[in-house]
Amino acid sequence: MDHTKRVYNDIFEMLPTEENPSPMVRINRLNPNPDFPLFAKLEWMNPFGSVKDRAAWTMLRDLEKRGEINEKRGIVEPTSGNTGISLAAMARARGYHMRAVVPNKVPLEKKLLLKIAGADLDVISDELCPAPGLGDGSINLAKTHAKAQAHRYAMPNQYENEHNVQAHLQTTGPEIWRQTDGRITHLFVSLGTCGTVSGTSKFLKSKNPEIKVIAVQPTEGHDVPGLRNVSQLGVSKLFDSSLVDDILEIEFRLAYARALDLCQNEGLLAGPSSGLIFEGTREIIMRDKKGLGVMIFPDNIFKYTSNMAKHIAGLMSGTQA
Amino acid sequence: MMTSYAHPEVLVSTDWVKENLGTPNIKLVEIDVDTKAYEAGHIPGAVGFNWQTQLQDQVRRDIISKEAFEKLVGDAGISPSDTVIVYGDNNNWFAAYGFWLFKIYGHKDVRLMNGGRVKWLNESDKQLVTDVPQPTPVQYKATGPHLEFRAMVPLVFEASKGGWNLVDVRSPDEFTGKVIAPPGMSETAQRGGHIPNAKSIPWSTAVAPDGTFKSANELRSIYIDQKGVDPNKQTIAYCRIGERSSHTWFVLKYLLGLENARNYDGSWTEYGNLVAAPIEKA
Repeated sequence: MDHTKRVYNDIFEMLPTEENPSPMVRINRLNPNPDFPLFAKLEWMNPFGSVKDRAAWTMLRDLEKRGEINEKRGIVEPTSGNTGISLAAMARARGYHMRAVVPNKVPLEKKLLLKIAGADLDVISDELCPAPGLGDGSINLAKTHAKAQAHRYAMPNQYENEHNVQAHLQTTGPEIWRQTDGRITHLFVSLGTCGTVSGTSKFLKSKNPEIKVIAVQPTEGHDVPGLRNVSQLGVSKLFDSSLVDDILEIEFRLAYARALDLCQNEGLLAGPSSGLIFEGTREIIMRDKKGLGVMIFPDNIFKYTSNMAKHIAGLMSGTQA
Repeated sequence: MMTSYAHPEVLVSTDWVKENLGTPNIKLVEIDVDTKAYEAGHIPGAVGFNWQTQLQDQVRRDIISKEAFEKLVGDAGISPSDTVIVYGDNNNWFAAYGFWLFKIYGHKDVRLMNGGRVKWLNESDKQLVTDVPQPTPVQYKATGPHLEFRAMVPLVFEASKGGWNLVDVRSPDEFTGKVIAPPGMSETAQRGGHIPNAKSIPWSTAVAPDGTFKSANELRSIYIDQKGVDPNKQTIAYCRIGERSSHTWFVLKYLLGLENARNYDGSWTEYGNLVAAPIEKA
């Protein structure tokens, strides 16, 4: 494969690897600390639009290798959108059907994109009442499909699938190490399934145990799709607290405000989870004074225009004739 | 000292259900918050009741009438002498509501499957199917309504004056009035807060991480020793629409043995809309 020409035989050749990493772009106008260069790793440059391309591909390939899926037996997966979009597009391009189970809170853009990518959609009303230990509704409904119709569905289950971690151990971690020439001191990530944080941190800490891994989470009761507050992390079997040095909790509305800042001052059309990470990063670079930070920006703003309208006052004004 | 539940006979395990699948006089009923769940997969032989369309009167705000209950249950092939096992999602919220309805209409032997559908789902030896059973309808003769299980507004006013156990099982933010209902819920109220003299004991307090009920000792220690529920007083549990409170009502009456426990099914969507009713906040 010749990544300099960027001519490919199929879309899968474009997936990120150490030789073809997702780009890292320096933060310029919004970095308050000149002694702490900051880079955003733009995961929306992946072919299906988010960081989830990595886990989706690794999980799908594993199911293929084990002969778990074929043209009759497709995939069912609980998703807040990105994993589902990646999986649906990949699955359909390889001839499998896909069913996505999403919480109702997921923005309309993502639900439509799932259908456009070819997924059958189940939307369920989730999070009726906070309950520690209560299984997540979309995970349970996906598991129900997989159990009741095992002949029709295999379930990758990104919340428990070790390949979700492997994907980042094999790609994201090595990419960042190479892209920073080993100079990275701080990694900033968000928490969802925790595949990104666990895999990337494991690789980077194996290269340099001094690297600090900072996870940023939204406040409880948040509206940042794809992310989890620590109180909701019980559902992910992939979270390993020994791989995380700090967990910051950030008021979720700041995710939207900072995303807007990134769009309007850096030309980075970053989504709300990136905004949340950026807010947490600013706290840490003022605290730790010196270093080189990499933020993993999971996806861009295009899927969140309706959420932005909800959380950014005045955004809707002047949009109608 | 280990104590047992006051009425252990109203609870069965998932293993018990598996061992008794297909036994003619044991009938399984699934009742979910998410009405899609039954359709996606259920325990073999289980019928599904929809809480919105089948357990509520579709004209006035009330539980279904005795006649409607007889028709619903009879059409499901259930006889008054059958053992009915109810289970559902969200740790048996609406399953507990269904259990309460069966009690109101005098069904003798109704039980909950401990841990609900999520426990069954996560056990590798338990099967789920999509085919819907076609039971032969039977004539079901109900008794009651046995209103000693139900609290209506006059009794709630009485309880709000003190001297009762009034248990608010909603989330802390609903109790304090920070929110009127959990986000996205369509059933709501004009005012936020709680009924005077209510104690906040969220429903999930009663549940272990695997979804089953906590042990009798743990429940006793939480509800009676820590939260001050007095077993010698009359008790009312309430929530927003009466399903989460059915769950706590079940705990108080059958697991802890508070014989005079009632479920206030009108709950906050009734009380929080009443003109001139006293409300406390924070």
